[in-house]
Amino acid sequence: MKAFRSRPSIMVNRPQEDKKAELEVRNLRLSFGGVVAVRDVDLSVRTGELMAVIGPNGAGKTSLLNCITGFYRPQQGSILFNGRDITHLHTHQLVGIGIGRTFQNIELFPGMTVLANLTLARHIHCRYSFWRSFLYTPSVREEEIRHRRILEEIIDFLEMQSIRKQTVGSLPYGMMKRVELGRALALEPRLLILDEPFAGMNLEEKEDMVRFLLELNGRWGLTMVLVEHDMSIVMSISRRVMVLNFGEKLGEGTPAEIGANPEVIKAYLGDAQSPS
Amino acid sequence: MEKATPDSIKPNQLTLPQLLAVNAEKYGDTKTAIREKAFGIWQKYTWSDYFHYMKTTAAGFASLNLRRGDNLCMIVNNSPEWLFSELAAHALGATSLNLFTSSIAEELAFSIGRVRSPLVVVQDQEQVDKLLEMRDKLTRVQYVVYVDPTGMTSYENDPWLISYAALLERGEKYLADHSGFIEEEIGKGRPRDIAVMIQTSGTTGVPKIAMLSHRNLTAMALQWIEASNIQPEENWISMSPTAWIVDQMWGMGVALAGAMTMNFPETPETVLEDFRDIGPSMLITASRFWEDMASRIRVKITDAGWLKRKLFYLGERVGKTVVEKKLRKESISWPLGLLYRFLTLAIYNPLLDRLGCSRFHSAFTGGHPISPDVIGFFRAIGLNLKQCYGLTESCGIFQIQPDDEVKLETVGKPLPNTRVRLAEDQEVLVQSEANFSGYYNDYQSTEAAFENGWLKTGDAGYIDEDGHLLIIGRKEDIIRNKSGDAFSPDFIETRLKFSPYIKEAVTFGEARPYITAMINIDLGNVGSWAEERMIPYTTYMDLSQQKAVEEMILKEVREVNRQLPDVMKIRKFVLLYKLLDADDDELTRTGKVRRRFVYGLYIKIIEAMYGGLQSVPVTGKIRYRDGRIGEIETTINIITVD
Repeated sequence: MKAFRSRPSIMVNRPQEDKKAELEVRNLRLSFGGVVAVRDVDLSVRTGELMAVIGPNGAGKTSLLNCITGFYRPQQGSILFNGRDITHLHTHQLVGIGIGRTFQNIELFPGMTVLANLTLARHIHCRYSFWRSFLYTPSVREEEIRHRRILEEIIDFLEMQSIRKQTVGSLPYGMMKRVELGRALALEPRLLILDEPFAGMNLEEKEDMVRFLLELNGRWGLTMVLVEHDMSIVMSISRRVMVLNFGEKLGEGTPAEIGANPEVIKAYLGDAQSPS
Repeated sequence: MEKATPDSIKPNQLTLPQLLAVNAEKYGDTKTAIREKAFGIWQKYTWSDYFHYMKTTAAGFASLNLRRGDNLCMIVNNSPEWLFSELAAHALGATSLNLFTSSIAEELAFSIGRVRSPLVVVQDQEQVDKLLEMRDKLTRVQYVVYVDPTGMTSYENDPWLISYAALLERGEKYLADHSGFIEEEIGKGRPRDIAVMIQTSGTTGVPKIAMLSHRNLTAMALQWIEASNIQPEENWISMSPTAWIVDQMWGMGVALAGAMTMNFPETPETVLEDFRDIGPSMLITASRFWEDMASRIRVKITDAGWLKRKLFYLGERVGKTVVEKKLRKESISWPLGLLYRFLTLAIYNPLLDRLGCSRFHSAFTGGHPISPDVIGFFRAIGLNLKQCYGLTESCGIFQIQPDDEVKLETVGKPLPNTRVRLAEDQEVLVQSEANFSGYYNDYQSTEAAFENGWLKTGDAGYIDEDGHLLIIGRKEDIIRNKSGDAFSPDFIETRLKFSPYIKEAVTFGEARPYITAMINIDLGNVGSWAEERMIPYTTYMDLSQQKAVEEMILKEVREVNRQLPDVMKIRKFVLLYKLLDADDDELTRTGKVRRRFVYGLYIKIIEAMYGGLQSVPVTGKIRYRDGRIGEIETTINIITVD
């Protein structure tokens, strides 16, 4: 019945201790040759927060995310997740301890269906062995049903029923972004990192995405870090905002504080007194 | 409730909730009552589940003070919750009124206020928002129950709003505290009580609300079950809005009395896919549905491989020949029969299966007339598509075409226990136990709707030599010729316009000896037709006066005449030298012909058609795009149809 919709069991039945997601970035520096992409940045995210990282183009936002999710190796500084040093862990290890992400440029398998793309994300939660899966024993079957059920709840939550069996490559851009979010959720992350989830979307798609994120964060307590350009969205949904400019941290605080910060305004709107 | 053995009691002696109770006792968990696609699979509800949820919902409503004699408004999509809620209202002795989910807030508030609904069941956030917007006008509404909780997080603290899940919880508690209460309430119902109310689409003024009793619905259900030999667990797929009569007569009638399975699609966007999953055994929809389906098939076929394409076109031709022979009750030669059987296996069955239409024993199209091409096509590929007729006041469809008596122009014969006759002025009258019980709070209209116990349909028609009813059109649109025979211009024009070459047609004949028509050719289609045949032309005027075009349109008119009864046949027509245009006041802005104006404007041509002339010289005004008005002189040929 529709009356029992939008309660994904991986969200609803999650014990409080499984939601713990304390991220601590200390003194992080990343440079490519002579270019310093991230310069001595500190960042801390508490459980249940929705933290936004903003900044002009080339400010180092994505570089920072890529350090956290193990795509880049920082030259200096450390990253702690729930007290554990994760600075040098690999991506697949990070997924295992509960860090999921979406990408700025969609990284799905375009030739596979939506369902297949999502199913792939359940791989880390599969308990049966490679050989048992060949035999397709009752326990394997039971587990597969459980995974499918979880995926279907995500499909229902993100309202993707009508595209379930379509190949990802044939979908409009906004829908692909939604599939990416679905895949990240299927990992059952404690910390969800979103790289420009609203880029290239029309107003309606943005509204839907805002609704999903608010529901995930507000209702189910999923911790999120989000990089975004759309100021109106960032200011209305995030609890805390950090501003980067040329790799440096320019400011941090509530949306209201950031909106009033003269440094931030300068970085975004330019300096009226500057001689150029 | 009277304890009776399920089989000894006729459904029309019960109320709808009593009928559900009987089914729950009779079929229990052995038969499927409802199926809904959710989370990617079809979830099933047996008759016991159905009864259980209905009772729990009713108890929930009772805890929210819904009482006997109240009216419950519902703004919901097709879903199990719709059935549970509607029957739950009936179980408590309340009536139900379904409103369109697409209605705007003001309309909804007006209807809800009109029937003083103390409780409203709505689908989702979208509907909740509309009611919140109108909250200060909805003073009588104590609670709003919403079915789908998606996106409702920020509303949860409003005591006016209750989720359906919470309603069920309240219901459980209420049932525990008041055991036997719901059964007692169900027992109090009488078949003559009003159950369902339906707002009719009023073309002018305030829409009327038709009231249907339990007996009306069960009587209609029994007629359908008998006419179509409906068996338990046959599949109905619920797709048309719940505020329309069709799904009401099914969900609140046939499916209950016949123990059919009601199937609900996952979302409105997945209907086609879900339709194929289910493969329903019966369907009643508007002609538009079939026209869309036919064009989808044609598009796919043009993309298909050479062999498939050839086989498809061969199949269509052979199918049409066989269907026509059967209709004329001619014998079919054995090679043709063999070919037909081969094509059934190779083409028709796989195609029907792909569409989800392989399990139909019959499918119906109603409302607007269907294009002969479309119905011909579906019948040719072995889909038993038939035409039907009915209205809200008659509690739904009461005229259907019998198998193998599918004539393009008729709507067939009445259902069993239904009598149909024509009034003096050719208005169609119907008498049956299913005829509605009256309009809500409108004694005058109720009186006016009946004539000595016969329901006046407001449509004019006549009955042909085979006993088939033919609907001409709304009574007020009917025109009479010189000898007093009724005809409907719209009836003829619609059929003319089914031709791809005819863009617009206006027919005349009021107080005249015969019918004439003024036709606008379709520039695009006739243009490419002419190009294919190397017929040179310059302008619209030039093309419309080409001899070959006249011949071609004459053939089209003859084809239409074949479907028309004698008094309605077109005897003469002209091809007008210009398109009728809203800028020239000949059409309304919505594209309807302003008949009287056109009559006055082209009186010279019309008089010529009745004057026995072969051609008529005309001077017409043409308005150019820049607003200048030019004059053109031409001669129009008058074409006589033999």
